[in-house]
Amino acid sequence: MSGDRNQLRPEDLIGAINAAYGNFDREIERLPDTSESLEAAEKHLRELQDLRIKYLGKKSELATQKKLIRSIDPTRRGEAGSNIQKFEQTITQRIVDKEQALKHFIENARVERESIDVTLPGRRPRPGHLHPITLMRQRIEDIFVSLGYAVEDDREIETDFYNFDALNIPEGHPARDPQDTFYTTDGFALRSQTSTVQIHAMQRRGAPVRMIAPGRVFRRDTPDPTHNPMFYQVEGLCVDRGITMAHLKGTLAEFVQRLFGLETKTRFRPSYFPFTEPSAEVDYSCFSCGGPGCRICKWSGWIELGGSGMVHPNVLRAANVDTEEFTGFAFGLGIDRTCARIYQLDDIRLLFENDVRFLEQFR
Amino acid sequence: MLISYNWLRELTDTKLSPQELRERLTNVGLAVDAVEERDADYVLDVEVPSNRGDCLSHVGIARELAVIENAGVQSPKSQIENANGKTSDFASVEIRDPDLCPRYAARIVRGVKIAPSPEWLRKRLEVLGQRPINNVADITNYVLHELGQPLHAFDLAKLTESRIIVRCAEKDETITTLDGVERNLDKEMLVIADARRPVAVAGVMGGEDSEISNATTDVLIESAYFDPASVRRTAKLLGLHTEASHRFERGTDPEGVSQAQERCVALICEIAGGVATEDALDVYPTRKDKKIVSIRPERVEAITSLSVPTAESVRILKSLGFSLSEEASARLTFTVPSWRHDVAIEEDLIEEVARHTGYDRIGTELPPSSLSGEYHSRERHKRALRRSLSALGFDEAINLSFIELTNDFDLIPEFGGLSEDNLVTLTNPIVEEASRMRQTLLPGLLNSIRHNINHGIRDVCLFELGRLFVANEPGQLPREREALALAATGGAVAADRAQADRELDFFDLKGALEAGVTAMNLPPLDFASAEVIHLQPGQAAEISFNGVRVGSIGRLAETIAGQFKFRQPIFIAEVDLTTLLEIEELPVLYSPLPRFPSILRDVSLLLDRKITVAELLRAVHDQKVEHFVGAKFVGTYEGEGIPEGKRSVTLRFEYRADDRTLRDEEVDELHWPLVKALQENFNAEVR
Ligand SMILES: [Zn+2]
Repeated sequence: MSGDRNQLRPEDLIGAINAAYGNFDREIERLPDTSESLEAAEKHLRELQDLRIKYLGKKSELATQKKLIRSIDPTRRGEAGSNIQKFEQTITQRIVDKEQALKHFIENARVERESIDVTLPGRRPRPGHLHPITLMRQRIEDIFVSLGYAVEDDREIETDFYNFDALNIPEGHPARDPQDTFYTTDGFALRSQTSTVQIHAMQRRGAPVRMIAPGRVFRRDTPDPTHNPMFYQVEGLCVDRGITMAHLKGTLAEFVQRLFGLETKTRFRPSYFPFTEPSAEVDYSCFSCGGPGCRICKWSGWIELGGSGMVHPNVLRAANVDTEEFTGFAFGLGIDRTCARIYQLDDIRLLFENDVRFLEQFR
Repeated sequence: MLISYNWLRELTDTKLSPQELRERLTNVGLAVDAVEERDADYVLDVEVPSNRGDCLSHVGIARELAVIENAGVQSPKSQIENANGKTSDFASVEIRDPDLCPRYAARIVRGVKIAPSPEWLRKRLEVLGQRPINNVADITNYVLHELGQPLHAFDLAKLTESRIIVRCAEKDETITTLDGVERNLDKEMLVIADARRPVAVAGVMGGEDSEISNATTDVLIESAYFDPASVRRTAKLLGLHTEASHRFERGTDPEGVSQAQERCVALICEIAGGVATEDALDVYPTRKDKKIVSIRPERVEAITSLSVPTAESVRILKSLGFSLSEEASARLTFTVPSWRHDVAIEEDLIEEVARHTGYDRIGTELPPSSLSGEYHSRERHKRALRRSLSALGFDEAINLSFIELTNDFDLIPEFGGLSEDNLVTLTNPIVEEASRMRQTLLPGLLNSIRHNINHGIRDVCLFELGRLFVANEPGQLPREREALALAATGGAVAADRAQADRELDFFDLKGALEAGVTAMNLPPLDFASAEVIHLQPGQAAEISFNGVRVGSIGRLAETIAGQFKFRQPIFIAEVDLTTLLEIEELPVLYSPLPRFPSILRDVSLLLDRKITVAELLRAVHDQKVEHFVGAKFVGTYEGEGIPEGKRSVTLRFEYRADDRTLRDEEVDELHWPLVKALQENFNAEVR
């Protein structure tokens, strides 16, 4: 047979292959599709690669027998070729199937192993918080800047002129009493209202002028749940030709609607302040109950916003504004008090204790 | 002030129910806080504005009600049936200080029978929460609540020489007031005295030993007008707030003195019997001129936007007691009633018209916009600063502007050479120790940290923006500057995690400050090791900009930490924000992106640990080497393998050319001379 190559038959080739691949089934079935661990499956995958080399590699019986096809009688070469090819396809398919099964398992096992608890907290520093008074001040400033007001500020320690005289608070008025106002040894006053900035602003800007002045003010109140010797106010001033109380009412109505919601109503009550004439106390409808009364509005349906009125002619004159050409309105409201209302603070001393558990409640 | 509904009805015939009354009075500026049903009557608690002393009586409220209801006020009757003799036959009155007492009237009733008041009178007072005493005392009290004029009844027999002298107290004079308290008087307090001693504190309270008793037969009724400021001062200094002082302080009606006295005397004769004198001894040296105020009807609309017919304006004002003295087409001139101290100018009349027309009838409109809004010039920077600090975990604190003397002097940083001399001091602090205006924010922040630690919170990061006050030359306003302070202690806490990963240190605080400065787009600050009085030596730095000191940063000195009882390191910083905010912002300019990659070289140098990284970087940057972009800090190492007193510092050098990728050999040629220079300058070894 070895002398005459042409006498090789297809059956010889297939026979040789069958003889060499007798263990293939057992060897591949020994590799399970799933394993108890990722590592075991990876070992099986490596073993599978060894099987591929053994049964499909360059030195495999299949490769050897393929080379012998050209020694077969040409009329039967086709038959040999297609038989061998079919056999090779079967083997390849078995290996690929096994490989896919193993890889699938490995993939799943890896995903499983690397899976995370997505509910753990995100990684970031604990955020800090701005003081509620700052937050409220910024909201108020944003509203008034959009209404055409300039934000102004000035001294916290003032002369009597700015703190009293120019504001039409005469000598002997109770507000000037050292019982109520702090004085320095040089005889200056810690400003007892941000109205002082009205005068500075009119002197700087002349008329017309439209400004708000948020800031710190001081009064000799002994600290208790509703008083601090220092608190924050916002003063507002609008001086122009033809300004009336309707403009004052319209401006404050707009303000409370933007701060507390569009359904908020405003109420004016006659009142008395030395620096305005006529004067009005301003209330807004309770943001919590909307009118029927609740704990927050002390069952009245209304909450006090602050004082307001038409700028007293003596105040305009103190700032050299012509009282026949110009009229104006002014208002003042407490930032701390507004904070206390909105956040339902029952003790405003907390505002200056800087307890972290308090501060972190505000955003 | 309490008002009886029944009493009011006698004066006005009001048709309004108590609840309606509440609303209507509130609408004209007399806020009624509460209406309470009491003993077949209703009691209204009226909040009277401080300038409306004229409303502190039933007649005062009735006058407002008359305008509201377009009705009148019934004048209480004062018919004295039984009169005989002149008051000057029985007593004398002398005013020694007419500025403090412009008017004093005395009248006498002889032969009264002191007894409990009749039922109707007792009830009137009881409804208002007043305790009935005896008929004469009750009548003076009754007239006070009816007309608003405080009156006082003396037992004539107890007035030495039957004299009334209105004068200031003498040095060391005392008086035992009706409440049984002996009071020291000062030389500015006005008293009513007899020939011998004070018998009443003028306008505040009578004296015990001239009081009406059951044995009294002859009474002297005082009706007077006292200076409001003087009564306020005396009442305040004596700590005596009475129905009388409350009214005198707000200004009573100088012209109402006689009417009230007549009313009182008539009631005494009627209820307690006795014979009144025919006249009053009325000392009224300088009668005040009547005030005249004009109003231009069109100004009502110009100021309030309310269009009120002139006739209605006149009705309101007349009904309030103003009398029209002159009527020209464009101007109405009114005489102001003597009880209206608050009215002096046109706007005051406008307010009267407006409040009785109704503030609720004023429309709402926004003023025509003629100006554009703007934030305070540095608000944008401050918002950026606050945002960046809060993003890094710092909570914003606000502390009072006052500081306590204890502890705080050690803490004053040398902002431009401050010292105790230029502290601003208060004459009337609310707490004795908190008498200085703060010159540093640090004591406040440290107290806040202590507060938190005392409440079991040991991880605290706080910042504060606030004003500092520095005294100026005598007589000049103090300087006010803004400062930023930070304080941090405890662990670096992550959000939603129970435990800090590590403890905070100096560099957390420095980083926060640097982040804030960067957020404001300002050039970086310089930090140099320094001795700072309140900081721990070796962990303290001075902060400067362009060679000017702007603040300090470091670990709180152990001595001060001990005083605060801190058991963990506290890191604090304070900078002069006013100065920082004057620094010009960095311009933002685009520079083209590099087209070729950089080549990096790391070098670790072993050198003396006193040599700072800043020195090394500065030395490197001073070298002008081609293609050298810059050097950055990588890390330091101390410990095993490093000799005592030395440390290893690793820096990363970056080289780049604009037109090509540099070759390694090229970079080596540039790099090693740089390193060599460092080695030589700092006596360093390359590791
Ligand atoms: Zn409510």
